[in-house]
Amino acid sequence: MHNGGVRLLAWLSIGTVAGGALSDRDATVDFAADVRPLLSDRCFTCHGPGVADPAGGLRLDLADEAVDPDGFSAIVPGDSDASELVRRLAHEDPERRMPPARSKLELTDEEKDLLRRWIDQGATYGEHWSFVRPERSAPPDVRAEDWVRDDLDRFVLARLESLGIAPAPEADPATLLRRASLDLTGLPPTVDELRSFLADETPDRFERAVDRMLASTAHAEHMTALWLDVARYADTFGYQADVDMNVWPWRDWVIGAFERDLRYDEFLTQQLAGDLLPDATHDTRLATAFNRLHRMTNEGGSVEEEFRVESVADRVETMAGAFLGLTVGCARCHDHKFDPISQRDYFGLFAFFDGIDESGLYSHFTTSVPTPALDLPTEEQAAKLAEAQAKVDALEAQIGDEPAPLSTLFEADFTSIGTKGAVLRAIADPEIVEDEEDVPFVRLDGENGVAAHSVGEFRRGQPFEIELSIRVPRTFERAVVLHRSRAWTDAGSRGYQLLIEDGRLSFALVNFWPGDAIAIHAVEPVAVGRWIDVVMGYDGSSRVEGLSLTVDGERIATEVVRDELTRTIQSGMGEQLTIGSRFRDRGFPGGEVRSLVVRGLSQTATGVHVDLQRARKNRDYLRQRIPQIMTMREAGPPVPERVAYLLGRGLYSERLEPVEPATPASLPAFTDEAPASRLDLARWLTHPDHPLTARVHVDRLWRVAFGRGLVPSADDLGSQSRPPRHQELLDTLARDLIESGWDGRALLRRLVLSATYRQSSAASEESRRMDPDGEHLSRALRTRHVAETIRDALLRAAGRLSRTTGGPPVLPYQPPGLWAETASKTYTPSEGEGLRRRSVYTFWRRTLPPPTMTLFDAPSREVCRVARPATTTPLQALALWNDPQFVDAAVALARVAIESAGADDAARVRYLVEALASRDPSEAELEAMSALLQAQRGIYAQDPGEARMLAEYDIERVAHPGKAAGESEAAAKDDQVLDDATAVEVAATAVVASALFGLDEVVARR
Amino acid sequence: MTDERIDHGLRNLGRRSLLRGATLGLAGAALSRIARADDGEGVPPSPTARAKRVVHLFMSGGPSQLDLWDPKPLLRERNGEELPDSVRRGQRLTGMSGNQSTLPLAGSHFDFAQYGQSGAWVSELLPYTAKIVDDLCIVRSLETDAINHDPASTFLLTGSEIAGRPSLGAWLSYGLGSMNRDLPEFCVLLTRAKGGQPLYQRLWGSGFLSARHAGVQLRAGSDPVLFMNDPPGIDRATRRRMLDALRAARSDSDGAADGAALARMAQAELAFRMQASVPEVADMSDEPDSTFDLYGPEARKPGTFAANCLLARRLLERDVRFVQLFHQGWDQHAGLPKAIRVQCSETDRASAALVTDLKRRGLLDDTLVLWGGEFGRTCYSQGALTATDYGRDHHPRCTTMWMAGGGVRAGAIHGATDEFGYNVTQDPLHVHDLNATLLHLLGIDHERLTVRHQGRRYRLTDVHGVVEERLLA
Repeated sequence: MHNGGVRLLAWLSIGTVAGGALSDRDATVDFAADVRPLLSDRCFTCHGPGVADPAGGLRLDLADEAVDPDGFSAIVPGDSDASELVRRLAHEDPERRMPPARSKLELTDEEKDLLRRWIDQGATYGEHWSFVRPERSAPPDVRAEDWVRDDLDRFVLARLESLGIAPAPEADPATLLRRASLDLTGLPPTVDELRSFLADETPDRFERAVDRMLASTAHAEHMTALWLDVARYADTFGYQADVDMNVWPWRDWVIGAFERDLRYDEFLTQQLAGDLLPDATHDTRLATAFNRLHRMTNEGGSVEEEFRVESVADRVETMAGAFLGLTVGCARCHDHKFDPISQRDYFGLFAFFDGIDESGLYSHFTTSVPTPALDLPTEEQAAKLAEAQAKVDALEAQIGDEPAPLSTLFEADFTSIGTKGAVLRAIADPEIVEDEEDVPFVRLDGENGVAAHSVGEFRRGQPFEIELSIRVPRTFERAVVLHRSRAWTDAGSRGYQLLIEDGRLSFALVNFWPGDAIAIHAVEPVAVGRWIDVVMGYDGSSRVEGLSLTVDGERIATEVVRDELTRTIQSGMGEQLTIGSRFRDRGFPGGEVRSLVVRGLSQTATGVHVDLQRARKNRDYLRQRIPQIMTMREAGPPVPERVAYLLGRGLYSERLEPVEPATPASLPAFTDEAPASRLDLARWLTHPDHPLTARVHVDRLWRVAFGRGLVPSADDLGSQSRPPRHQELLDTLARDLIESGWDGRALLRRLVLSATYRQSSAASEESRRMDPDGEHLSRALRTRHVAETIRDALLRAAGRLSRTTGGPPVLPYQPPGLWAETASKTYTPSEGEGLRRRSVYTFWRRTLPPPTMTLFDAPSREVCRVARPATTTPLQALALWNDPQFVDAAVALARVAIESAGADDAARVRYLVEALASRDPSEAELEAMSALLQAQRGIYAQDPGEARMLAEYDIERVAHPGKAAGESEAAAKDDQVLDDATAVEVAATAVVASALFGLDEVVARR
Repeated sequence: MTDERIDHGLRNLGRRSLLRGATLGLAGAALSRIARADDGEGVPPSPTARAKRVVHLFMSGGPSQLDLWDPKPLLRERNGEELPDSVRRGQRLTGMSGNQSTLPLAGSHFDFAQYGQSGAWVSELLPYTAKIVDDLCIVRSLETDAINHDPASTFLLTGSEIAGRPSLGAWLSYGLGSMNRDLPEFCVLLTRAKGGQPLYQRLWGSGFLSARHAGVQLRAGSDPVLFMNDPPGIDRATRRRMLDALRAARSDSDGAADGAALARMAQAELAFRMQASVPEVADMSDEPDSTFDLYGPEARKPGTFAANCLLARRLLERDVRFVQLFHQGWDQHAGLPKAIRVQCSETDRASAALVTDLKRRGLLDDTLVLWGGEFGRTCYSQGALTATDYGRDHHPRCTTMWMAGGGVRAGAIHGATDEFGYNVTQDPLHVHDLNATLLHLLGIDHERLTVRHQGRRYRLTDVHGVVEERLLA
């Protein structure tokens, strides 16, 4: 951008995009599968969609433009030699050869040949595979009928038979149980579960085990953990200050949704638009927090609109990544170079998410939940609040229109500023002047002001009046005349304030601007250049009708700006009633103030008005204690309708023309009616003919079951995406999903019970040779588990995993000082079972996520991520050895093994391997580990003190080293000091357990 | 959930391709993976590479170029006068000073003098760095897009304001691999207990690249790498026995022929070696007194910037590719004259010492040293301008940074700003240009170092960046 022109997007090709057609000379070239991705990758930068001025006027994405039967034609169908496109690929003049050298793109000979063959075969264009409705294919015939358990197996087997590979034999029952248990619940079977499964001789034992798993809370927790990456869920706002945000009730909503098997169309709809459903409930509104989990900043000096646009953009990109499998972020700044998503399409989607009454920033000085927010009362809280409200209602009815009897509480004497004990205090030297009648008044410059100590500390349930005499020097776009607040955007404007905006007076009581406030704005401009007397009046009702502005004794006409005040207007941050000056705001430059009178109910007043004030105080106190969560709620009157704009280069400051909500033009609309709301968007996404939604979800479920999706690029079904390895299968399952009423759990059950799933992961020679990557599904894949599963499974194997579900996030052990050294925050580990809950409950700080998770490739959750890499690093080995959580697990497992297996070394090793890998040890394992056990026993016998340090290792004590005895679980255990012999046994066995954490099954599927 | 093998293959491919510009099929990727399960060795350096290693001294918060590197006598002459609109040209300010009723020009309280053959102007606050100006290439015209810390730091260090992209060091790890067997290829050192603008892992994270490319924080103290110390009761010999037992146990197991399982075993061996090599590199007891004479006595205190500079040199000596130091505290919105003095006293001597030390060890020729923050600071005072005090707000339109060694032009001064120190008037160097140049020095064409993610290729420099030839020796 800074260079003026758009430079060529010049890339190197990594991997070839074309699939199988490369090799087979006679095969029909598939435009969608092979040609379009290739053209898209190498040619569309200059000759594709989104190019304002395609090179040579040529677009290769449109058949009509590439093929011109009359004139000069880049592509002559049926005749590659006559096609300029082919000539240019091998042109002797480097200046004319395509792609041009400056693009740093090339085509391999195979790829050139592919294009030639496509042209020779007629150069038929077709739509990209994922942009047309998925259609069912008849399951192919197979020879080995016996192998088939589900129609889906036929697709797999037909491919294997055509390649001449036999499917792998069925995995042994123990392996299968472990695999299914980890895939579906994220937890391994316990030793007892495994043994009773193996002892069960009924033919449907696996089916029943799978049904048990799918019905378990553990399954819901596991599915939730996977969804949290997509939803970019975290417990903090992100950006540098990274303050906590209270959104875990949404996480529990997700767990609940999986637990009660909420159908996928509902799951999607409730999260996108649960607030707009005709039968919206508290629960469906809570679901919409999905759209608010994006990062937010409170960094001083940030431009509010800049970051509001970021929030909305993040909603769009998360929706597209989660449900469409498309990356639309590129189209924010320019038409997409490959996918047919234009910038207009992007902002059409943007307009769906733009209509809530929100701020782009959260408050630095207060803990307001950014609006719109949903109250989350317990039943008891709700009942108490209703009772308190009834009292207020009764008193309000009793009082009717009778105004509260206000008396003067304070009258300013500006000559007192700077004197001893004065209530008034100068901020940055305001000028004190005397007028013609020797009346002293204050003259301000914008930076300075006058603050009154302990004056006007009104709650929202208290009626008050503030009268002041001011002279406005000129017409202001914005000026702060009087306020009681800590700051402007840095405090969400919490407090009350008299401003001049657009030349007119405005008066507001604010909890969090803009969504939790009442505000009025004068219709007529304020008089300039003469003294006027202004009274701000408020009746204590928390309703906008209770606000008034009076000028020179006349109540003036005002319009309602906001009418929703539900929370306190006090921040307790030392705010004072102040004339002029406000932190990082404009003040009242050139403004003059000569009197200030504050009125309210006197302390000694009695009667029904005081009763009402007390009743309101009680109600407001109860309300204030009810936690809230950010959700979606469309703004309505009086909030002015927000117009979404197409933003030049995606920048908040470059508004071009207004845009209406719209689904992308290149995807079918299904209806003639223009979509207007997020609910329409959700309905569109879940339309039975939608080309993407079902495919994306089938692929997600396939990934859950098989460790890898059918679509090679899990995060992308766009036009650069390679076609799925089994498109007929994917599409057939997509139809099945839709026709089942989006029953994801039923589909997952089918996948796991299929013959394909039950294959062994051991690769036959043939499978290894013909299907090296496993993409033809000739065996089960040995993919690495996600971080959460690795931790949870180890804790579970050791009998240390807490099975408590739901609730606020917990802080398991992490090395001390990590938070402090980057951001002056203290990480205080949880106590007791909080150290041992499932990882889905681990507190997720975006700027420094839990290290044991990130070491195993968990993302930061700053943005939507659909798939995780699975890497291997030395730091992972160190974590498995030495993370105190795992040391604790090794010791705990050792104790269990000793208890269960007794003194026999082989039995003990057998138990450990069974617990960690759900199988019997091999001879080599038995031998090596028994030898290790024996060796350690000998070494520790020499030094029982050393053994005791390991044998008595306890995560509780490591996490809370400073704890005095008696305060923790660990301390209680201290009473039972191990005798030397026991310590030696436990320590030696723990060493073996820890060594066995290096078994590949601990981190990878089998 | 993405298959690590694909990732792995892409990595090898990406590296090789960028160096020779070829296109390979996926079959090739798979082959290269199988052939090289342990990816420890580096790639032969490109013939155009001038630097093998990089050390980046990141001054978090944005040091004031006007008080350190870019003297503006006019600001002193017109101290307190309003910033002319003709200079500001309506460009945006932060919300911190954007609502101030005045924007008074603030002359620096610090005197400048010219040093070295190059005659570079340096503030009295940097007496040590002033002595090495002839080794430095000073860029006075660095410009960025962002005006707040988080976006600006993220932009400088990942090439994008949007979270989720790989950091500079991760790109290098991905592109060039490791040159050493026993240490991480990308190390991050934070000055301890500084406070100031918070830091976040994203700045040295791997973004959508795999976690193996993320920066590894070496922490001051007894456990420099997370989970490196064995627990009580397990000593080094026991750990060795555990690994040997595991190796023996797996000899006939099903996983033996599994490439990923072999890779994990190899990484466990590397972990074992790191348990020895990291403490060795962090243990400064073998450094002679002359080292501490050079870096200053602070270098004896673990976790100080000076100690981190010395640690950086030790890591670079052992062929760690990229070392990034973070020093917080440069965000002087108010009370600048006092605060910047402290910052400089913490960093000046050691920064200069690092360059000198690398030079005398013959490492400077192929080690690139970078010094600078995420943006500059304003020529006007944020908050009240008094006789003894001023503050400066964020300023994205220009700042000064310096580079040394690694193929950059020593003794050069690149770019210039107007007499208010507000706008660049000559040879602007955008962050993308800086990153393009940096990659060039490492032998990488920034347009070819790409990774495919979510259906497109990503670059450190997005679709921008021009190698600034005039910075090159």
